[in-house]
Amino acid sequence: MSRYFANIWETVTTLMIGLGVTLKHLWHIRRGYVTLQYPEEKWPRPERKIGFDHDDYNVIRSRLHVDIDDCIGCMKCERACPVGCIHITTVKVPKDVDLGTTSNDTKKRLLVTRFDIDMSECMYCNLCTYPCPESCIYMTGGPNSGKHPIDYEFSEFDRCNLIYRFANVSPEEVERITTSSAKPRTEGVAA
Amino acid sequence: MVLNIGPQHPSTHGVLRLKVKTDGEIVSEITPIIGYLHRCFEKHCENLSYEQVIPYTDRCDYIASMNNNFGYVVAVEELMGIEVPERVEYIRVIMAELNRIASHLLALGTYGLDIGAFTPFLYMFRDRERILDLFEMTCGARLLYNYMWVGGLSHDLPVGFVEAAYDFLDYFEPQVKEYNDLLTYNKIFIERTADIGVLPAEVAINYGVTGPNLRGSGVAWDLRKAEPYSVYDRFEFDIPVGKGLVGSVGDCWDRYWVRVQEMLESVKIIRQALQKMPSEGDVHAALPKKVRPPKGSIYKRTESPRGDLGYYIISSGKPVPFRIKMRSPAFTALCVLDEIARGWMISDVLAILGSLDIVLGEIDR
Repeated sequence: MSRYFANIWETVTTLMIGLGVTLKHLWHIRRGYVTLQYPEEKWPRPERKIGFDHDDYNVIRSRLHVDIDDCIGCMKCERACPVGCIHITTVKVPKDVDLGTTSNDTKKRLLVTRFDIDMSECMYCNLCTYPCPESCIYMTGGPNSGKHPIDYEFSEFDRCNLIYRFANVSPEEVERITTSSAKPRTEGVAA
Repeated sequence: MVLNIGPQHPSTHGVLRLKVKTDGEIVSEITPIIGYLHRCFEKHCENLSYEQVIPYTDRCDYIASMNNNFGYVVAVEELMGIEVPERVEYIRVIMAELNRIASHLLALGTYGLDIGAFTPFLYMFRDRERILDLFEMTCGARLLYNYMWVGGLSHDLPVGFVEAAYDFLDYFEPQVKEYNDLLTYNKIFIERTADIGVLPAEVAINYGVTGPNLRGSGVAWDLRKAEPYSVYDRFEFDIPVGKGLVGSVGDCWDRYWVRVQEMLESVKIIRQALQKMPSEGDVHAALPKKVRPPKGSIYKRTESPRGDLGYYIISSGKPVPFRIKMRSPAFTALCVLDEIARGWMISDVLAILGSLDIVLGEIDR
């Protein structure tokens, strides 16, 4: 009999303790401690001045971006990708054609005719950004926000639009560049 | 009567199907049917280089990815004979322990949810969020980190991490009392969990159950003490074991309680690691040029939040592993469900299942 009442007593007291905890939080509720109505309001973008040089670290995971003008077509990022969402095709150009240099003053030897990243396959492991010798592939935002602003919400109505095509040479241009030499020497390197 | 629970049941913690044979409301047999989340992890690894496997280990136990990374890189490093810089070891321990707290918070929160307590779930997720913020600050990702590399880390700690970590620990320790008030010592919770689903120590050992489930049965077995890997031998912490404070040893409440105590032990470890961590050091110093272990094999186990996480790696001297086998602690925990849930009511089965803290991503792999 006494056990019966003890049980009731324990139930009521422990419930009251629990309710006290929630009540304490109810009193301390402050403005801003509520759910954000997402599409209308957003979290402020985190301040990411964390003392890193982009050449050493890229501490963010978001959409991949390629500065195609700096790309030398070494395919290191394609090999590093575990899921194979990066597809690169390069074309050898005749010796007398000058493709220019990258911002690191490396001479470009290969013409990148195709640089596709399928962001719907990407798993944001960040493995592709490390081997790049020219640091031209990176995740947008963070230390790179000067180059490219952050973009978390890259939703599309059509899945095909998630395949980003970075190469900026048209087939006609490829044809013109590769045949411009007196001795045409076209060799397609398959991706 | 045969009753199907799952695979889309909110209390099965993922896509698990339980075929429950019942006699009235008493359960006479449970057959867990797994494989709904099978992603060919082990076969897939045979086509990937050693570094590329790491993001896939993230996705096995997706609640404690850091610990999965940790186990894998420790195994590969031992196979290759790499000495890792001291700072890297400390950062790894800090990350693994933070992730252990996050994992236990999720386990306890959803366990309360299974039994009908909604508020603690929200409180624990709020605090877990702060740990995820720390991870995001460190490596940019909130859940699947790919932070630990063979021979090092992907980045050093960001500026201000140590202060933020101390801030979190100071904030977190008093919170545990709040959880205790809300859930642990709540009479209704105790009635639902004490003396339910008792897992005797012999049964646990025979089934190979490890981690908090085994410690809840009163066996003080923790790989961080028993077989110290990394720098765990330099920290002082206790192994909490189930004592049967409100019921008998090895019941659901004990397994729950061990997890609560383990979070406090992890806080202790993180504090010591933050103090002892050398402030200088290149985290990329020991990165091998090419990860290409010599011919041979290794089995290395580490203590993940769910128990002994083992990696068996066979190398044929090529840049891709010949075979990787992962020993999942959650799998053995699920195996023992049939044994301990027989004779209980259907509603108790969900309480027992929740207390085992399984992650289907790791069971199915």
